[in-house]
Amino acid sequence: MSAVEHIGTMALPEGGRVDFSRLRRERRQRLFEAMAGAGVDALVLGRPANVAFASGARQLWTAGTRPFGPACVLVASTGRVHLLSTWDEGVPAEIPHRDLIGLSWNPVVVLARLESIDGLDRASRVATDGWGPSSSDLLSALCPDAAVVDGSRLLHQARAVKSPDELTCLMTAAAVAEAALSAMSQALQPGVTERQLVGVCAQAVSSLGLTCPPTEGVAWISTDGARPRRVATDRAMAAGDLVALNPGAIFAGYEVTVGRTRVVGADATGTGAHRFDSLSALEVRAALDAVIAECRPGATGAQLMEAWERYGRSPLVEPLAWGLGLGVEPPVVGPGATGRAAHIRAGAVLAVQAWSYRDGSGGILEQDVIVVDPEGPTRLTRARPGLLVG
Amino acid sequence: MADSPTVSGRMIPPRPDLARMHAERAGRLKEELERAGLDALLLLGTSNVSYATGARSPGSDASRALIARPVALLTREDGPAHLFTPYPDGAPDGFPPDHLHDALYPELADEAHRLAGLLAEHLGAGARIGCDELTHALRAELAEWEVVPAQAALGAAKLCKTVDELACIRRAQSINEAAMADVAPHLRPGVRQCDLTARFLRRIHELGASANAIDPIWQPMPANLGAGPWTTHGGVAFPTAGSDRFLREGDVVWVDSGIVFEGYASDFGRTWLVGERPRPTSRQQAQFERWRDVMQVTLDRVEPGVTALELCRAATDANGGTRPWIEHFYLAHGVGTDSAEMPLIGTDLGDAFDEQMVLAPGMVLVMEPVIWDDGAAGYRAEDIYAVTDDGWAPLSDYPFDPYR
Repeated sequence: MSAVEHIGTMALPEGGRVDFSRLRRERRQRLFEAMAGAGVDALVLGRPANVAFASGARQLWTAGTRPFGPACVLVASTGRVHLLSTWDEGVPAEIPHRDLIGLSWNPVVVLARLESIDGLDRASRVATDGWGPSSSDLLSALCPDAAVVDGSRLLHQARAVKSPDELTCLMTAAAVAEAALSAMSQALQPGVTERQLVGVCAQAVSSLGLTCPPTEGVAWISTDGARPRRVATDRAMAAGDLVALNPGAIFAGYEVTVGRTRVVGADATGTGAHRFDSLSALEVRAALDAVIAECRPGATGAQLMEAWERYGRSPLVEPLAWGLGLGVEPPVVGPGATGRAAHIRAGAVLAVQAWSYRDGSGGILEQDVIVVDPEGPTRLTRARPGLLVG
Repeated sequence: MADSPTVSGRMIPPRPDLARMHAERAGRLKEELERAGLDALLLLGTSNVSYATGARSPGSDASRALIARPVALLTREDGPAHLFTPYPDGAPDGFPPDHLHDALYPELADEAHRLAGLLAEHLGAGARIGCDELTHALRAELAEWEVVPAQAALGAAKLCKTVDELACIRRAQSINEAAMADVAPHLRPGVRQCDLTARFLRRIHELGASANAIDPIWQPMPANLGAGPWTTHGGVAFPTAGSDRFLREGDVVWVDSGIVFEGYASDFGRTWLVGERPRPTSRQQAQFERWRDVMQVTLDRVEPGVTALELCRAATDANGGTRPWIEHFYLAHGVGTDSAEMPLIGTDLGDAFDEQMVLAPGMVLVMEPVIWDDGAAGYRAEDIYAVTDDGWAPLSDYPFDPYR
């Protein structure tokens, strides 16, 4: 792991903390190498994270999914990255104006503009990162002789292993996520609602110079309810309630989330119930640490699941581990059979989550982000593990 | 405009009746399923699943929403929609438990196979399935069925809103506006875009938003187009992504934001000026007055039976023959479970498209004329109107300060 510890978001006179032009150059190189490895002549991308990875463009953030449509096209024979963008604001200099394609509502116009991409019509193998019921028509018009294949494996190949610059971005996101956790913890008191905590999280992240957080499913009263509740309500917390906090932040596209559980406004030495909570929190933490310890190069999703089943007390209702980088990425491990066969790679970054619920005691969430270093896992998140009384 | 505007004979209620809204939407989808000759709808898009099921999910970055996505399956034969969701707490009250299922991850081959197995329980080989989005894994698994775009059925169901849907949009807009009223006093020299975003996001959640929909836009506009950003069409670049950019004395800031309430989007647009007690110059004030004239002339034409093309012509005439909107956008767009949906009015789909778009009760128009005045930036604002039985009713209500 990179030794960079000088985390911040401002430019420094001697040079930035992240060399973004190097970061973009390395990403692009990895992507073209992965295309070559897969024998792919052209890559058609629609997902914002993949578009960001390929182009380095700073895109307007919107919530939720959009139907698949071309937003960025890479052509192996020319080495060019074509971006659908009506303007050059937020577009890095290595993508010249001639490679920007204006957006249109009219599919006929879109097709004509995409047809002008040099080398696309000669591609014999084209990969995309999404699909829709009209995608066949579009792609057969654009590259009539091409076989169209799933690009997700080659994208994973390019994206999974993080460069030192990417790790610095992730560490910055981790610092901001922890700042949000701290702000949410400080806001805990009887009468505060789940919705208010979502607002505190977003405010903390944006006040530190970042834009929208990666998710709003960040706070729920976990005193009762066997599952995490990620849709915030107006429910107000009372003294002694458990509250699960799971804020996150996105810096330059890179996402980190962190999860901890707090007790609202109670006396730390309080009742038996609280002592019981503290004990169960220790057990949950031990289970999470056991899973994290398994996150070594070459490990499988099944091994992570076995560690959870050995130490964990609750069946999984959400994933146990998932990849992070430009947002959430493969692998996803758990629940059920999901991701058992996935392999953990050296240099990958994973979110690892423990959620355990016991009747009469409540639900405990602990979630950390780790880098899979060659010698084993290193935690990127530093929030103090375990239950704290807020 | 009548004193008590109605849509299909019904008044827009002060609060939406969510159960009635969900039931009416489900009824419409079934009708459209029949009309389109589909056996089922398989929906993966965040807003479409919300429309078909009433399911809420936390506002999420696309990367997360693509992997941990709610999925809806509606068949012609089998009652209400099935919902597969990572967020079961977001299922609406009274959702039938036997139609609520664990999350599926249709990105993954094994999970797509599981979904195909579930489909096979409901659908015979060769059935026609309307889909909004697919994944490569699903594309391979759905080979034995006929997969067609769901857009025609979805679009027809969504185009004209019920009174409860209109009440949701009005509520979303009022939360958005109340948050903006709290942000506006902080627009001072030296404030950063992200500082305004911080305050805005805090407030929308306190005020009861279900989710934020878009990174709020606080974009300082150049005085003239030559100053950039460069665009493919030579016109105005908007909306561009925000950052920690400082806003400075005299900046003309185009503000645009959207939030979600019970699945329905708001759309707020105003032009603000940065300064200590900012006041528009006479040239800026004239831009606003031109904008207001365009808006009034266009609104005067809004009623059922009028075509979108007539609105475009009225607006263009009121602007001295120049189309008063952004090259890559529109004079007006609909809003509903998506922040920009049909009717789109004045796009590059062309005059023929606008001519066949006939206004009908329940359509929603987010009117967003733009007066560009090269050399002195321009004025842009958005207001929302529902087409009623005999005219229109406003769904937005926010002042134009500091313009008068």
